[in-house]
Amino acid sequence: MKLARILERILVSIPIMLGIAIIVFLFMRLTPGADPVDLMMGEAGHVSEQEMEALRQEFHLDKPIHIQLYHFLSGCLRGDLGTSYIKRKPVTTLILECLPATIELALGALFIALLISVPIGIISAVKQYSFIDRASMTAAFFGISMPPFWLGIILIIVFSASLGLFPSHGRLPFTVGLETITGFYVLDSILTRNWAALASTLQHLFLPSLALGAATAATVARMIRSSMLEVLRQDYIVLARAKGLTEYRVIVKHALRNALIPTVTIVALQLGVFLGGNMIVETVFGWPGLGRLVVDAIQRRDFPLVQGAVIIYAFTFVMANLLADIIYTFVNPKIEL
Amino acid sequence: MARRWLVAAFVFTLVAALLGGALSGCTSPTAEVEEEGKTLVVGLRQSVLTLDPAMHRDRVTETVLRNIFDGLVTRTTDMEIVPEIAESYTQLSPTEWEFKIRQGITFHNGDPLTADDVEFTFMRIITEGAVDGQSSPRAGLLGPLEKVEKIDDYTVRFIFSEPWPVFLRMLPHQQIVPKKYIEEHGSAYFAEHPIGCGPFKFVKGSLEEEIVLERFDDYYGGSPELPPVGPAQVDTVIFKIIPETATRIAALQAGDVHIIQSVPPHLVPELEKDPNVVVKSCIGTRAYAMDLNTKLEPFDNVLVRQAMNYAVDMDEIIETILGGYAVRCPGPAIPGSFGYHEGLPGYEYNPEKAKELLAEAGYPDGFSLVIDTDEEMKDVTEAIAQQLQRVGIDATVRVWDWGVLKPLLDAGERKAVVSSWGNSTLEPYDLFEPKFVTRQGDVLGRGNYSHYSNPEFDELFARVSVTIDDEERASIYRQLQEILYEDCPQVFGYSTMELEACSVLVENWEPSPDSRINLHDVGLKDN
Amino acid sequence: MDSKRISIPSSQTAGTASQPLQQNMYLLAIKLRLLRQNCQSFLRQLCRHPSALLGALVIILYLLAAVFAPYIIPQDPFIGQLGNRLLPPSWAEGGQPEYLLGCDELGRDLLSRIIYGARVSIGVGFLSVMVSMAIGVTAGLAAGYFRGWFDEVFSRFADLLLAFPYLIFALGVMMVTGPGFWNLIMALSFKGWVEFFRLTRGETLSEKTKEYVEAAKASGQGDLTIMLSEILPNIVHSVIVLGTLRMGYMIIMEASLSFLGLGVGTRIPAWGSMIANGRQFMLNAWWISTLPGLALLILVLSINLLGEGLRDILDPRLKID
Repeated sequence: MKLARILERILVSIPIMLGIAIIVFLFMRLTPGADPVDLMMGEAGHVSEQEMEALRQEFHLDKPIHIQLYHFLSGCLRGDLGTSYIKRKPVTTLILECLPATIELALGALFIALLISVPIGIISAVKQYSFIDRASMTAAFFGISMPPFWLGIILIIVFSASLGLFPSHGRLPFTVGLETITGFYVLDSILTRNWAALASTLQHLFLPSLALGAATAATVARMIRSSMLEVLRQDYIVLARAKGLTEYRVIVKHALRNALIPTVTIVALQLGVFLGGNMIVETVFGWPGLGRLVVDAIQRRDFPLVQGAVIIYAFTFVMANLLADIIYTFVNPKIEL
Repeated sequence: MARRWLVAAFVFTLVAALLGGALSGCTSPTAEVEEEGKTLVVGLRQSVLTLDPAMHRDRVTETVLRNIFDGLVTRTTDMEIVPEIAESYTQLSPTEWEFKIRQGITFHNGDPLTADDVEFTFMRIITEGAVDGQSSPRAGLLGPLEKVEKIDDYTVRFIFSEPWPVFLRMLPHQQIVPKKYIEEHGSAYFAEHPIGCGPFKFVKGSLEEEIVLERFDDYYGGSPELPPVGPAQVDTVIFKIIPETATRIAALQAGDVHIIQSVPPHLVPELEKDPNVVVKSCIGTRAYAMDLNTKLEPFDNVLVRQAMNYAVDMDEIIETILGGYAVRCPGPAIPGSFGYHEGLPGYEYNPEKAKELLAEAGYPDGFSLVIDTDEEMKDVTEAIAQQLQRVGIDATVRVWDWGVLKPLLDAGERKAVVSSWGNSTLEPYDLFEPKFVTRQGDVLGRGNYSHYSNPEFDELFARVSVTIDDEERASIYRQLQEILYEDCPQVFGYSTMELEACSVLVENWEPSPDSRINLHDVGLKDN
Repeated sequence: MDSKRISIPSSQTAGTASQPLQQNMYLLAIKLRLLRQNCQSFLRQLCRHPSALLGALVIILYLLAAVFAPYIIPQDPFIGQLGNRLLPPSWAEGGQPEYLLGCDELGRDLLSRIIYGARVSIGVGFLSVMVSMAIGVTAGLAAGYFRGWFDEVFSRFADLLLAFPYLIFALGVMMVTGPGFWNLIMALSFKGWVEFFRLTRGETLSEKTKEYVEAAKASGQGDLTIMLSEILPNIVHSVIVLGTLRMGYMIIMEASLSFLGLGVGTRIPAWGSMIANGRQFMLNAWWISTLPGLALLILVLSINLLGEGLRDILDPRLKID
């Protein structure tokens, strides 16, 4: 039964993906502005009419719009998102090059968010209305109201410029010399046993992850606290206490497990938010990921690249939602369809 | 239970690694590399476009290429032209030059360099479609060059369709490529595996990240006018592309790179406090100005254009935003360049006069104006807009990506743009030709964003090209400057000084006015 | 606040021509009185909610500053003196008392610019919530009430829009339209209406089955009247709470877009672009980017405080992440 529900969810996301691709494509074509061929030539100058025509053909710009859409959609199915106007490389390649950096940052942010929020959420619930509870909930409130780019700048000023503890830009200084296998630097440095690179990677990862994860940490902490409070009022907890179980066992074994169910879903959703909301943080920290790629492409009006990146963003977002749904179906004992 | 411990151990390891890294983060790993030989790292401000010397018009690209390839002649840091691959040269007639080539020069693959390679190099640039079907964008840098002829194995002759006095000043920008190698492998392969006869050979790299070069031990030694002559001082050179200014500077201060380009003036005081860093400057060769579109209202009226010049206080901008690291250009030419007109006083800052002129031109209440520019010039442009607001012009700034803006400027759709143009010969020819000249058939120059077209100017300019006598040519340049000074196709700007910085360990390096970084003679001290 | 069902049994008997008028007047009087009572009790509850009250006071302060900006700014926010470039705040070394928070890279007074920046943030935040709310509530009411193809089309379109991360979507729209105040509002509302649509549609679906709607239907009231005067008043509380909470988010979005250079344009001071400009001076002039950010943080914080307070008072069941 659960399987059927999951299958249904997966099927539903197929037309959504198709709709996304069509919307993005039409959107980009409606954009007024300079002729893409002019853009591609940029400063080159000295271009013959013949070369311009060849370019037009290369990008199917000489065809009517529905033919272009057809080319585009069939390309998408084959994993071909077109060719960047400016960089003259396949969009898929460019995106795949950047994706590990973005995913690594998202996972880093998630890790930090959980590291902060889970203990705080639990302690705040167990010691409701204590000083710790009030202080951390106030902090959490600041967290959800904090613009991430501003937090990033403050972190750079404090931890990087003033204290010199963490680097403010990039993923890794090139002098460390890391052999890349997967593109995930943490993984690569462990695989090649390059401990200097591992330390440096983690150092570089820390500030951007914190800037990206802070708001989520706040949301999740509030969430855990409220669901813990709800669970702690339940009969079976009262019963467990009455049986004389230690407070630690009651909280960790019984209460936490149930309180985490709604949280897990939120966490999966947040992963989608991290992947989709990182342009700002990547820009602030000079992180060479998808967000930087797309901001750059927007400024240069590199339509195929923007188009491809937006589709990838939407795709990961849909996938994260799907994942959240599936997890929810599995962990929540109440859902039986 | 076991699983929980595993998780805890993992978390602990991560945190420990993080903290350990943070504490040990200050030591630089360069010291370890030193043992294998000296490695010099240069931080570049943008990516390299290609490794084929015929296929770009870009200074950063040229900086890298100049260390792999040599030219017939080169320049000292004082902008004096000296022979490099050429042994000597003579001008046979106004349209003919003869070059003797040094013997015993080899390319990195061991092939000797002869007149064939020189002929091939230049014909490849000036012949349409000669580079795998594409045309070289550098043809314009060779003016009316008609052909290059091989006389014997070590003599070539350059033949022009008309006299071209700036030829020698333009020549350092062309590097000699190997004929046999390119004919065998094709231009595409060559661009990925370049072979030159310069002090360093290409090892590996990607255009957008880093390019690694290694010393070429059989180097002929370079120009005898630029001691020391012989193979390069350092073993390895890495050009590292670091577009973010803050990162470039942090890398220099951490000792990860040794030389960086383009230091922003406002960070100079900060850098000068660092005992491990030396900031160096020299006069620059880029002219910065605000072009006014003379075909669009209101700048089709010369009074308005003059008013703009009175309304902008360039001295204040240089003093504050550029930290004094720029020289004001009273007119269109760069002070100190050949034929520079000392007599032009420059429009003084006079908002009252500007308002009067605007009123006289029929704009007593000013007008609204969008000034275009790119990210690099944003601060200066906003300062200009702010000053224009004081005389009642409702000026705003729009920042574009240059690649997006350029086609609009060429099409004449924009009113005003703040930009710069390189004048590396320091002779006004290669500044005025692209920016102000109308060629036959109403073709404007590549950088004529003012859409300025003046037959009187063009006629006079045509005479520059055929005048060999320096004094006479200089006098024509002065007349040209007078015409532009009155016509004001621009708000005349300034020429920035090149600001570059290096580590104290770097020896024998000076920035050069054309912002190239030649590393042949540069050494590196031990810590 | 469970006394909010304002359904008055309508005409039981058909009377003379003057009767309905009288009756309408009577109904209006009752409604007005209820409204006044509601407002009074609302204000009483707000006073018992100190954090929400504080939020409301700060917002009022910001509003006043934004509205009266031209009269209260100490210096010209648009034209500066280049000589004052990067002037530190008055309390720091080298600061001047007439430039309380220092100056930016063009010598413009930072305090005056921050005050002016409130106009953009509040304006864009408020208007884009209003536009989103207008579209979302209208479509949501219609979709929930009529169902059918209209509901189907809008719901699918909403699903589609929800698949895009907000920022990238707004960035795409701004890329097409270019910078500008109204473009910004359009870009934010383009996707912003979806939340209001889903909320209103869901609430309408559940309200529709309730007795008072059935009664109104039976008494022959038109669909439009039922939607506007029966259903809407009962879901308006949730909409207000959602609107308040979304406003903080919209303001952060506006600042993010301005930060990336796709905001209202360079002429008008906006906090996001001020922060972005100050980034390159982070090392030697920290105030340029941190202070506008602080103004932003305080505003968003106050809006969120008020929003959470409103939720507690008006609609405790409402769950918005």
